[in-house]
Amino acid sequence: MEKKTPDSQVIVVTSGKGGVGKTTTVANLATGLAKLGYSVVVMDLDIGLKKLDLILGLENRVIYDIIQVVEGECTLKQALVKDKRFPALYMLPAAQTRNKDDITTTQVEAICEELKPDFDFIFVDCPAGIEQGFRNAIAAANKAIVVTNPEVSAVRDADRIIGMLESADFKDIKLLINRLRPEMVRSGDMLSIEDLMEHLCIELLGVVPEDRSVVISTNRGEPIILNDNSSAAQAFNNIVQRLLGNNVELMTLEEDSFWRKLKRNLGFKN
Amino acid sequence: MSLAKIDIKGVNKSLVFVFSSGSGEEYASLLKNRFESNRQLFEGSPVLFQGDGLQQLSREEVATLQRLCLDYGMILHNVHVPGRGEKPAGEDMFIYRTLRSGQNLHSEGSMIIWGDVHESAELTAAKDVIILGKLEGIAHAGCYGDVNSTIFALNLSPKQLRIGDKISRASGNYIKNPVPQIAYTEGDNICIKEYKPR
Repeated sequence: MEKKTPDSQVIVVTSGKGGVGKTTTVANLATGLAKLGYSVVVMDLDIGLKKLDLILGLENRVIYDIIQVVEGECTLKQALVKDKRFPALYMLPAAQTRNKDDITTTQVEAICEELKPDFDFIFVDCPAGIEQGFRNAIAAANKAIVVTNPEVSAVRDADRIIGMLESADFKDIKLLINRLRPEMVRSGDMLSIEDLMEHLCIELLGVVPEDRSVVISTNRGEPIILNDNSSAAQAFNNIVQRLLGNNVELMTLEEDSFWRKLKRNLGFKN
Repeated sequence: MSLAKIDIKGVNKSLVFVFSSGSGEEYASLLKNRFESNRQLFEGSPVLFQGDGLQQLSREEVATLQRLCLDYGMILHNVHVPGRGEKPAGEDMFIYRTLRSGQNLHSEGSMIIWGDVHESAELTAAKDVIILGKLEGIAHAGCYGDVNSTIFALNLSPKQLRIGDKISRASGNYIKNPVPQIAYTEGDNICIKEYKPR
């Protein structure tokens, strides 16, 4: 495990509402950074409802989990699962048979401190909700990505979460809008990026369009970011660049016409 | 023999306690006797306090009676705490940030907010609520019953407004780019009008 940067970023990915794409975001951003050679670890704190191992396609490699680490049954190094594609990507699995109260915020902080010397990026996959699981997930983080969908229920929860993060003294909170459908925004049937920004008023990290191939890649356990032909992958790649401090323009979200698909498949950008 | 008098009526599945005359202590002992004599009837029932007798009680005395009801497993259904409105106004509160969903604030005087109040945020103030920004959440002015309180916002688009014991809902028509507006009570209604400096 070779670090590229002196500091470590601990990024919690959260949303309040379930099913908006937190775990998918964690899997893709981590994979994207690992592809560029950064050493990355993803921590699944959705204890009792773990999904990250499935989305990364590592479910058959899990031996120990985070609860066994805190209870002293194994060491942290033993519990880390190495990714099958990228040697710089590791996952710390959640326990499926336990629940969120079986770990405390101080234990999460201790694990993060132990991981920091070896990793450039530590991603924390936060469970839905605002209870103990959420408090655990934000305990060690110094940055937060709030994932939301362009619908009122997700926006209300995101607003609540941003408020709680602000109360917890987070200075770096960024918004990721997931599953945007440009054609529905254009016809006035979906909240636009502007509507969301006006309501939530935090910095925008990126917009990921709705993409059918995300479902396929989730089922296969291959993060979509590895699929060059997908618009969601391009969006996630842009977000990875922004996490690294590079200024990348928001991509223009056009309807996926036949010609655009053909051009992309033939290798033309845009 | 106690001089206190409380009528207990059943209205819309709630028990209505009508206080007519007596002191806080007398009411408390009277209620306690009634509760002890028939626990099953009172337990789990929603309870509403009404009657002129309440006006003679201080807020603390009303709170004691409410606590007694809670001890016997009743559910309090009053929107605001009735009682004498003579409580001196507390400190006004100044807030220099935006309130987000789930955050709530209470002021014993007026409340002035330099920022927005997002949907599902809640404000209560004993007197006026003034928002120098957008109000989308719930604001309750005059929460101890002062119906002369007002709610002002540069962009008044809440889902609900409460002044004293009055509640009004938004019409549902969302108007973009509105003008500063002020809400106040007139009779039994909450009225909203464009705010114009004289």
